[in-house]
Amino acid sequence: MSQAEKTEKVITAAQRAEMERFQPMWKIVLTQFFEHRMAVVGLCVISFFIAVALLAPIIASVTGLDSERQNALNRYKPINSYVTVSTDEREAKVTEFIKDHADEASALQVELMTKGLVQPPRPEDALFELVGKEPQEALKILAQIPTEPATHLAKVVRDFESHHWLGTDELGRDVFIRLVYGTRVSMGVGILVAIASSLIGLLIGALAGYYGGAVDTILMRVTDSLLSLPILPIQIVIAAIDLNKVPGLGFLVGDENQSIYKLVFILVLFSWMTVALLVRGSILSLREREFILAAKTLGATDATIIFRHMFPNVVAPMLVSVTLGVGESILWEAALSFLGLGIQQPTPSWGNMLFNAQDLMTEAPFLAILPGLLILATTISFNYLGDGLQDAIDPKAIRR
Amino acid sequence: MTTYIIRRLIQTVVVIVLLSYVCFSLMTLMPGDPVELMIQSNPKVTSEDVARLRSLYGLDQPSYVRYFNWVKTIAAGDLGYSRTYRIPVSELMGPKLLNTFYLSLASLLLSILISVPLGIYSALHPGSKTDDAINFFAFAGISVPSFWLAIMLILTFSVYFKIFPAGGTFTIGIDETPSWDFFVDRSKYLVLPTVSLAYQQIGRFLRFTRSAMLEAMRNDYIRTAKAKGLSYSRVIWGHGFRNALIPLITILALSFSSLFSGALITETVFAYQGVGKLVYDSIIGNDFNVAMVSFIISVAMVLLFNLIADILYGVVDPRISYK
Repeated sequence: MSQAEKTEKVITAAQRAEMERFQPMWKIVLTQFFEHRMAVVGLCVISFFIAVALLAPIIASVTGLDSERQNALNRYKPINSYVTVSTDEREAKVTEFIKDHADEASALQVELMTKGLVQPPRPEDALFELVGKEPQEALKILAQIPTEPATHLAKVVRDFESHHWLGTDELGRDVFIRLVYGTRVSMGVGILVAIASSLIGLLIGALAGYYGGAVDTILMRVTDSLLSLPILPIQIVIAAIDLNKVPGLGFLVGDENQSIYKLVFILVLFSWMTVALLVRGSILSLREREFILAAKTLGATDATIIFRHMFPNVVAPMLVSVTLGVGESILWEAALSFLGLGIQQPTPSWGNMLFNAQDLMTEAPFLAILPGLLILATTISFNYLGDGLQDAIDPKAIRR
Repeated sequence: MTTYIIRRLIQTVVVIVLLSYVCFSLMTLMPGDPVELMIQSNPKVTSEDVARLRSLYGLDQPSYVRYFNWVKTIAAGDLGYSRTYRIPVSELMGPKLLNTFYLSLASLLLSILISVPLGIYSALHPGSKTDDAINFFAFAGISVPSFWLAIMLILTFSVYFKIFPAGGTFTIGIDETPSWDFFVDRSKYLVLPTVSLAYQQIGRFLRFTRSAMLEAMRNDYIRTAKAKGLSYSRVIWGHGFRNALIPLITILALSFSSLFSGALITETVFAYQGVGKLVYDSIIGNDFNVAMVSFIISVAMVLLFNLIADILYGVVDPRISYK
């Protein structure tokens, strides 16, 4: 006899009462959801990425990295590398320091000379000699002088060196901070597309399901044909359109987010169909139910019946399809950006980072590996989350 | 049955015609038209010449007039001339279609061969460790960006291990007459694209097989069959799998369009000379004649395969009637 069966025999009356107690629906759903381990992991991963996306500007200011600062001399740096600013730039910064804080500079110069910390050819070059050294070394020397001007200069010197945890890309930009901002763009596009397309799907599915007849035939014919089309070639054709030639859309040209708007539009255009079919199916069966008949008898308008009585019943299955839709939209965004037709530089997205990484993937494989791993991690999490939600709301799967 | 097929065929033709018109008008909205590209290389062209060229090619007319002219030439059997490849479009399409066909067929077979047995196994052992592992494998399949997988395959198998070529269709300069050597050479070039294209399908098919099989095994007739004393394998294959096949064929049919979309990306990454790459290259390179023809042919192929799959339903499931 197994352990489980043994414990079942010695169940007390209190435990039995606990088990038989009435539980509200949401509690059942929640328990059911938390039993799906991978879905919970997925939820954690997604929350992490959403937090990164929301906190991107803060991360940028804390680390002092700029997603668009280019550095032509330090392209394709490996992981965990330090990059030093060129000597010219350092000297320019020191000249500026001397100009702005003349007395501090001269005091520091005297200090450096008397302690013999630097040996310049001329005493007035002491500061230049100091910053000519490697930044780490210069900071060590400055640390030996406990005065106010020294800490002030140390702050300037610290900026000469940047730490790139994940290396730099083909223009010498920091990969880490670009991935952080890419999260913002990719997640944003994914969530926006999923929500927008499910709203459209909801509307079309509801109209088709509720009114039936000719409306249903026309809408479903369109939905079916869109579903059967090879989507990618069509999306490429639309993505390649020059907005200058479209009457009424010329105002978007030159907007820095133009490529994002275009991409969202294209993705929404081809992703509402599954939701529409799902909603139509639910509404068709809801239409025959007694509470709808009751609402009709009480004189409710069509809009009230659809919005007030039918939508709450289709929200749960829609939630699943929105979740799955986010993952799918992120994949489509990446695919289109990868083909060079989605989000355009300099805005970073996971897809266009991969597009750029293709050229030198043998020399800098990490540039290609990292964005793809993030895409994989996000989409797999959304898919598991969707699966978990599906199990949780499916009455057939409830195991109590 | 016949009326059903005829009605579906007419519908398919209507969709293709509508779509070709939409696509034609969209292409007029793309940056650059043929005349602009012609005059780029010739600084002596005057604005009168431009106007003359435009009226010669009919570019000064509204798009629907141009569309009808284009349809007329297509109907006469003239598919036009490719600007980038410098050969008639009709000569271009044949080999590319065949290449895409090989790639799609290979990856479809591979994905069915892997996903159906795995899916059935995990449906028969729900909740086991193996089931979890197979599930993860399937989820990774539907979640992995196929182009990234392609890049990783290239990095591993052609850059690091140097087993398979990184891209192309066959070794350039090889004797192209059908022979065993040529077949082996082509197969080598086909392995990585096939795997990268198949993995996404494997993920979807696996999940479908698993849930369809689970659903089928839950039916009362399975219990009856078991109670009758039928052998385990007969219950699974004769009663369970037979009924799981119907939803499986649905997803197989719907997979043609995603297979084609996937082929486009895979072919582009691996520089495999197929229709997908042709569609992409011609749209990016403003090769209008090629873009229109390859686009319409690929759409027509996908729709035709959908139709065939719809008809096949009836063979598998006698309950479906065609009205």
